[in-house]
Amino acid sequence: MPDELILDKEHLTGFLRKIAKERELVAPVKNSHGDTLFEVVSSVDDISLDLESKPVMPAKNFFLPRTETLFHYQRKGKQYLFKEVLPEVPRVLFGLRSCDLWAILFLDVVFQENFKDRYYLNRRSDTVLINIGCREPMRNCFCKSAKSGPFLTQGYDLQLTDLGDRFFVEIGRPRGRELVEKWDYFFRPATNRDRDEQYEIVLEAESRFERIVDFDTAISRFINNEVDDALWEELGNRCQGCGGCAYVCPTCYCFNIVDRPDSETEGQRLRIHDACTLAGFTRLAGGHNPRHERSRRVRRRFYHKLPFAQEKYHRPSCVGCGRCVEICFGRVDMIHFIRMVCERPEKSKEASLRLGEILVRAGVISTEELKIALEKQDRTGKLLGTQLIEDGLATGKEIAFALGRQLGIPETVGTGGVVGR
Amino acid sequence: MEDRAQILRKMVANIYHPHSASIQGVKEETRDIKTLTLVFKDQEIQDHFTFQPGQFVLVSVFNCGEAPISISSSPTFSEGLQLSIKKMGLLTGEIHRYTEGEEVGLRGPYGNGFPLDELCGHNLLFVGGGIGLAPLRSLIQYVFSKRSEFGRVTVLYGARTPRDIVFKDDLAAWGREKDVKVLTTVYRDNPEWKGEVGPLSPLLEKAAISPSNTKAIICGHPAIISYVIFDLLKMGFAEDEIISTLERNMKCGVGKCGHCSIGSKFTCMHGPVFTYRQIKEFPSVL
Repeated sequence: MPDELILDKEHLTGFLRKIAKERELVAPVKNSHGDTLFEVVSSVDDISLDLESKPVMPAKNFFLPRTETLFHYQRKGKQYLFKEVLPEVPRVLFGLRSCDLWAILFLDVVFQENFKDRYYLNRRSDTVLINIGCREPMRNCFCKSAKSGPFLTQGYDLQLTDLGDRFFVEIGRPRGRELVEKWDYFFRPATNRDRDEQYEIVLEAESRFERIVDFDTAISRFINNEVDDALWEELGNRCQGCGGCAYVCPTCYCFNIVDRPDSETEGQRLRIHDACTLAGFTRLAGGHNPRHERSRRVRRRFYHKLPFAQEKYHRPSCVGCGRCVEICFGRVDMIHFIRMVCERPEKSKEASLRLGEILVRAGVISTEELKIALEKQDRTGKLLGTQLIEDGLATGKEIAFALGRQLGIPETVGTGGVVGR
Repeated sequence: MEDRAQILRKMVANIYHPHSASIQGVKEETRDIKTLTLVFKDQEIQDHFTFQPGQFVLVSVFNCGEAPISISSSPTFSEGLQLSIKKMGLLTGEIHRYTEGEEVGLRGPYGNGFPLDELCGHNLLFVGGGIGLAPLRSLIQYVFSKRSEFGRVTVLYGARTPRDIVFKDDLAAWGREKDVKVLTTVYRDNPEWKGEVGPLSPLLEKAAISPSNTKAIICGHPAIISYVIFDLLKMGFAEDEIISTLERNMKCGVGKCGHCSIGSKFTCMHGPVFTYRQIKEFPSVL
């Protein structure tokens, strides 16, 4: 079987019908509300397959569901027992966009590194990934900048290119080959003409991107510490803290683990999607929250997606699907963010602040009060913090906050929320 | 060794799987802190479970979910695993109602623990505030079980009121050891209290701490940590001789869920024990 084949469009339904008999088939389907979503297809003939538009949600939910049961637990007398629920579904994901497929490969790394995550890996273990290259970018797409599309050169099991009346099929990983060999009668070898046509489509698709997003500049500005606080403040004000960006992001994987009681004697341990922009994400027992302000949460999100991902995985964890651009009405999305960072005038590096200056900036004391305290301190020889507390100008907590900031101890930031609110 | 490998595999086959452990003893430390002694139901796990001081476990409580709790006993303590838990919310409130024989779920141990090799041969200064003494207790008791490997030991402890002092018996017992100084202070005293009153910082002077060949290990409320680090730096402690722990909302314990992230690191894996030098390097508000 050659590596490049042709699947005539009239054979697509037949091919999918065969797949659906043996495996769970997931494909982009237009629903009655006009939205296209990846859905489990039980009957190929009853759906309207949509290979033209961008599915509203990414495909991550099939491996990291919004809610999944990790265990059933039970109490029998004093006994407390756990029964694991390990899923395993042989599956074909058909009609993925290149960005979505690339995102799955990214998640594979996250869930395999260090401690292996059985739940994700079990779901993923017997999956065939078939993507369809995009002939032209859709609204807000910037996969070319993110180097994850519009066509892939690796990572797929099968990659399709729409050639009008037929699909050009490239075989990637072995699972793709198995699938094609099993039902080889739907396929015929591609000719040189097919190849040329496909190549032209790829070139043309790549040339059509209007959204050029400069990841490299943005990341280097992070690394050189050139992103100023004012930018985070502005983004913090615009972010509504809804978590939408993380829910639609194909590479966001943060989750929470919670118990759902079913009765007095049993319940389920669930894993649910979570988002770093939600207020409670880092809140501790007792109420202390290291990322108390919204601007800090937004900042966390972009740091995680850009410089930290670059440091760890040598690429940003954004695949350029543009979904955050579509969902965020505060424009706290990747495109607007990177543009803001790149257009920012270069910031002079902030000199380390002195304790008094930190307190003034946080609004604890006025410049006038600081001046008086400093003069007094000159005479008494006491520490500034002690002086301010004695004069009743600041509380111990506020001094601790400022000290923490000066010493760069993140925990103290926002302690008890006494300062800067 | 092969045996151990097999058990380890059993324990990590599913990283989220808690193992049932029964409560062997409950000790009321203060009005809102209890120390539980726990033993795994599965004998093989019980026999092979090891940890380092400073590590934590994720504790499951029926219908309440999971919470990260530091281990407060020494690995050399043979009667079980001890957890000292302050009543803070749903899960800790429920566990405070538990009595002997009842079961919880445990998974772990997680985190890096204190750098035992680096501490070896040094004088040790422990500064603890409130329930922050729990992870320190694990290390202090470990140090006493290997007394000759460490130098002088100083324990400075601060609690809100005399009624809030944890591990009272231990503090007294440690004070009786050779080359050990224990000082306790309270923020607000009561008529019966004969000891120190006020913040922890003045105790550093009182205990005549010298930075030479000394490592400082601090655990407590963030505000206490800030004050103490500030003082220690002034006294001439080097940044990497000051060791502290960060408290975060760990959910998975294995560096995936994102909740305890700090900078590009995860508190549950790369921490919770960090030197001040490391802490300082973290982007300040991440």
